[in-house]
Amino acid sequence: MTTPILWALTLTAMAISGWRFWVRFRPLLAARPAGRTDRIADRLSFMVGDIGLHRRLLRFSYSGILHALIFSSFLVLFTAILESFGSGLFPGFSLTAIGGETWIALLQNIFAVVITIGLGMAIYHRFVIRPERFEGSKTRDATIIYVLATPIVITMILEASARLAIDGQGSAWRPVSTLFMYPMMALGITGHAAEQAEGVFYWAHILAILAFLVYIPGSKHRHMFTAGPNIFFRPLTPKGQLPAPAPTPGEDTPTTVQAYRDFTWKDLLDTMSCTECGRCQSVCPAHAQGKPLSPKKLIMNLRDGYLTDQGLMDSPDHAMPIVGGTIQPETLWSCTTCRACMEVCPVHIEHVPKIVNLRRSLVEEGEVEPLLQSALTNFQSQGNSYGKPAKQRARWTKGLSYKIKDARKEPVDILWFVGDFASFDPRAQKLSFLVAELLGRAGVDVGILYDGERNSGNDVRRAGDEGLFEMLAMHNIEQLEVCEFNRIMTTDPHSLNALKSEYPALGAAFDVVHYSELFLELIKADRLRINPGQAGRVTYHDPCYLGRYNGIFDAPRDVIRALGHELIEMPRNRDNSFCCGAGGGRIFMEDSPGGERTSESRIREAMELGDIDTFVVACPKDVVMYSAAVQALGVEDRIAVRDLAELITETVETEERVAQ
Amino acid sequence: MHIAAILRLNPVLTEELEVDEDGRDIDREWIGLELNPFDDQALEQAVLLKEATGAKVTALAAEAEGGERLLKTALARGVDEVLLIEVGEENVQLSSRARAPLFQEALEGLAPDLVLTGVLSTDDIYGELAPQLGALLDWPQVSAVSNVALGDGVATLQQEYSGGISARIEVQLPAVVGLQAATQPPRYVAGSKLRDLLKVEVPTVEPGADFGADLADATELEVPDTSGGAEMLTGDAEAVAARIHEILVERGLV
Amino acid sequence: MRCLIFVEHSDGTVSESALELGAMAKSIGAEAVGLICAADPGAVNALAGQLGSFDAVIGVADDSLATYNPDAAARALTAATEAHKPDLVMTSYSAAGVDLAPNVAIRTGRQMVGYVSGLELDGDTLNAMSTVYSGKLVARTGMDLPGIVAVMPGAVKADGLSGGAPAVEMMDVDLSGLRMRVTETLVPENTGVNLADAEKIFCVGRALGGTEKIELAENVAAALGAELAGSRPVIDAGWMPKVRQVGKSGTKVKPRLYLMAGVSGAPEHLEGMANSELIIAINSDEQAPIFGTAHYGAVCDMFELMPALTERLTAGK
Repeated sequence: MTTPILWALTLTAMAISGWRFWVRFRPLLAARPAGRTDRIADRLSFMVGDIGLHRRLLRFSYSGILHALIFSSFLVLFTAILESFGSGLFPGFSLTAIGGETWIALLQNIFAVVITIGLGMAIYHRFVIRPERFEGSKTRDATIIYVLATPIVITMILEASARLAIDGQGSAWRPVSTLFMYPMMALGITGHAAEQAEGVFYWAHILAILAFLVYIPGSKHRHMFTAGPNIFFRPLTPKGQLPAPAPTPGEDTPTTVQAYRDFTWKDLLDTMSCTECGRCQSVCPAHAQGKPLSPKKLIMNLRDGYLTDQGLMDSPDHAMPIVGGTIQPETLWSCTTCRACMEVCPVHIEHVPKIVNLRRSLVEEGEVEPLLQSALTNFQSQGNSYGKPAKQRARWTKGLSYKIKDARKEPVDILWFVGDFASFDPRAQKLSFLVAELLGRAGVDVGILYDGERNSGNDVRRAGDEGLFEMLAMHNIEQLEVCEFNRIMTTDPHSLNALKSEYPALGAAFDVVHYSELFLELIKADRLRINPGQAGRVTYHDPCYLGRYNGIFDAPRDVIRALGHELIEMPRNRDNSFCCGAGGGRIFMEDSPGGERTSESRIREAMELGDIDTFVVACPKDVVMYSAAVQALGVEDRIAVRDLAELITETVETEERVAQ
Repeated sequence: MHIAAILRLNPVLTEELEVDEDGRDIDREWIGLELNPFDDQALEQAVLLKEATGAKVTALAAEAEGGERLLKTALARGVDEVLLIEVGEENVQLSSRARAPLFQEALEGLAPDLVLTGVLSTDDIYGELAPQLGALLDWPQVSAVSNVALGDGVATLQQEYSGGISARIEVQLPAVVGLQAATQPPRYVAGSKLRDLLKVEVPTVEPGADFGADLADATELEVPDTSGGAEMLTGDAEAVAARIHEILVERGLV
Repeated sequence: MRCLIFVEHSDGTVSESALELGAMAKSIGAEAVGLICAADPGAVNALAGQLGSFDAVIGVADDSLATYNPDAAARALTAATEAHKPDLVMTSYSAAGVDLAPNVAIRTGRQMVGYVSGLELDGDTLNAMSTVYSGKLVARTGMDLPGIVAVMPGAVKADGLSGGAPAVEMMDVDLSGLRMRVTETLVPENTGVNLADAEKIFCVGRALGGTEKIELAENVAAALGAELAGSRPVIDAGWMPKVRQVGKSGTKVKPRLYLMAGVSGAPEHLEGMANSELIIAINSDEQAPIFGTAHYGAVCDMFELMPALTERLTAGK
């Protein structure tokens, strides 16, 4: 008698839930391809660390632990769900044979406590601690889940308590249920009454689970189902290689993303996988300085827009514009593309490519911010953001103690791709000069492209001008391909990223090193002899495009230590480094933060370490950004911003010193 | 309706200018060229009129170098046709007075209804282009225009005077307009549009007309002596602010 | 030697630039003959009465000349030039001057020099100094007369009115078949902004970068008790309304204090403010031409200076 009812209920709930999933996910079938089915073995193995070991989640220890408690409990308690539905739907089904009444029961009891602790921690976290990263998340959704999850656990325990109460016989395998058996019996629930109570709790348990099932597809808690696939389908291309615009099916012209159907299915899956945990928001430099961007809200807004549009998404006449609709242009222009959000996201959502894709649609429409427009126009006409003639690119080499080779005319060992900033900015030019002198002193066979170099296009691409990026990149590749050299060196992490990670997608693979790596080699090989002078207490800032994007964390640190300095790490270091605010084309745009500039907050972070005299950077843009920040904070007398090249120059033995 | 937009390249003025050895021209060794900002406005206005009325737009240039690239940019911005008048690679410094007969000849061939170009070019010492073309073609001409609307055989223009005063002028077509500002600022043209047009051949024409005579051989350039100018206040922003405050107090201005 | 000067006027008043041109003609020892185009002989006479320093006036009267009409004015100036054969035709480098000088140069086959800031007579050769490349260079052109010059407004001081009203000689010019008509004169609405009469002006230039920073500039203006103004790029970009524009195409000003930040000093801007009593210029480019005109200058970042100055001014009160 109960079996058909349970069948009816279960099938109904599953049908509703399935339908609720289907309307949300059906549009993925019509979306653009993403090509994420290569390297299956790698994909599977990555899931072990990210799901099984909670690698990213545990970076935020409190919430990582509570998630681990709840997650592991769900796995264990799934056995209880299996038992309840199994026995109800298929009379005679039981886990008893494999320990359903013994060790499995014990585990269920233990994890009922574990999940209670986990839920308690979650509730405490959300309603008492209330970290800023939850700002904008949907509290009601979270609350409903607590309200639905708790009765599942309680009814599970009490169902067993009631069963034990029938005979009034506790069980060592079910300590928690036994504990609740006594008060139950004290209330007279025993024997037949307990049998009835067992039934009531059973059905309550079943209903709570089915309610949960029906609720899930519309809740952020669908990440229970989507997180796994989303992590599995993560991009495996180099981090610094931005995906090109997705091709229009059946055509070879790329299309910009204007409506939801222009996204790839993975972009849409991303939005459906967001748990609103706000880790991205908490590390976002744009959000930190009060700009109208939170990566979390961006994804939530995309999701909400997509869901209002959903059923109609594959209809050609219904293409809700994204920019100006759910997403404002200012939000998109606020991003520095620093990748901190993507690095911290537990479900591997790809925020930056979406932002760039939407920027591309703005650029295509000619809607760019005035200063960016002038920079991009300069790139188009002169190949650099300054609008300076290419002829002036190598002007900084005037006055060097040797004539730096023209790599287009003679073979060189190291081809130095200097970059715009290092070529044209007066402050950065001085550092380029120091680097050139150091290379000369170490006897490095080095050459540059002179007026053949153009901006690498790294930031142009991230500003959303794909065509301009291709023009700049193809120009540089043509120049480089006729040169004879062994490796390319650059001081600029943005150029490094383009040459190392972007150009291979255009069919040009070069061996690219950062000057920190090259100088480390030269020091180790004793080609630059270090005479450690006064050791300083220094800290080091990881440039986004050097560290997070290209994994070069140690070389600059090893150089600093080799020079005899004591390196004190800031709290936000290595892949959790905090962006200076210049990336992604931001350096070309109007900079008026609503709050404190990220560069200033970073300098304060360094100063809070106490007794730090030098803030070491390894990126020409950082020199300018942080020097300005130190000035703005008025702390020039307490901390100095110095480039690695300056540190090396002052400790390296000159020929005169060697001679003595 | 056919609109001709005349575009010229100017030295990038964010750079310090130097004068060449004989004092006849700027030292072009280190100087980049860019579209004259007023011609940029004229180009935008031409494209805006095209969008509003469906007019055809032809962009013209007469440059020793960089003309092709300039006209490809114009195509990317939406003009329909371009024409490069060959002036010879050696003629890097040509005034509007020198080039005006060449443009006149080309315009007589194209027979547009409206000619748009920038009101001025900062090096046009022997006369701006638009009024010269007006005289050469004997077409009505208005300079310092900030707004252009096309009607039936007429254009309605707004000519700007000092003090924010302006006049609305109705002019019969064909006419020549020296544009000061387009109805809206020039929009950005994505690199993809430019990239697609880089392979396009720019049609060129050998001029039949001679250069107009100007006084280029009688002109000497020099860098102005600004040393007699401002008394410079030194120091950082705080120090400068303090000094300015002092000066204002001394003079009873605050 | 004789100079024919195109006299601009509006609302029954001759422009300052006409008087400046008269003074300039005198400075090279030439006779100054004004060409006044107006609606009727009465208006010509009334305007001529304001040209006390001129030697003579040629009047052209026609309904089409009630306000400046480029086509009609070009015909009148061409006819007067051909009839009177002056050694030098002078216009101001205003909107009208830009229209007329090159046009008449072509029509009369004369050479012309624009952007003129000074004239010197050397025998039969007239040396004209021009500010070119936005004031970055000075050009000296030796012109054989007869010729035409277009002079930057404000290049010389207009001398006071001396002598009686010059004799007026009316001239007939065929103005039939004009190809344009002025349908309306647009005067900017009274917005409460009055730069022309302001005692103190704080002007910002293109370096402002966008509307986001306007507040910083407004704070300085408020602390200083000054009107806020902008250079042409600021107005063209829509960051400020047109009534706040100083310069050739904006308002000409003569305040006691003209403080400026991020304005490089193009001749068109200088034209509008060079006569200010005290000019202080802030620019990040030490080569900015404005430092040639300003009384005090400082090379620094305007975004650092503006808050610092606001603080000083506020604290000093």
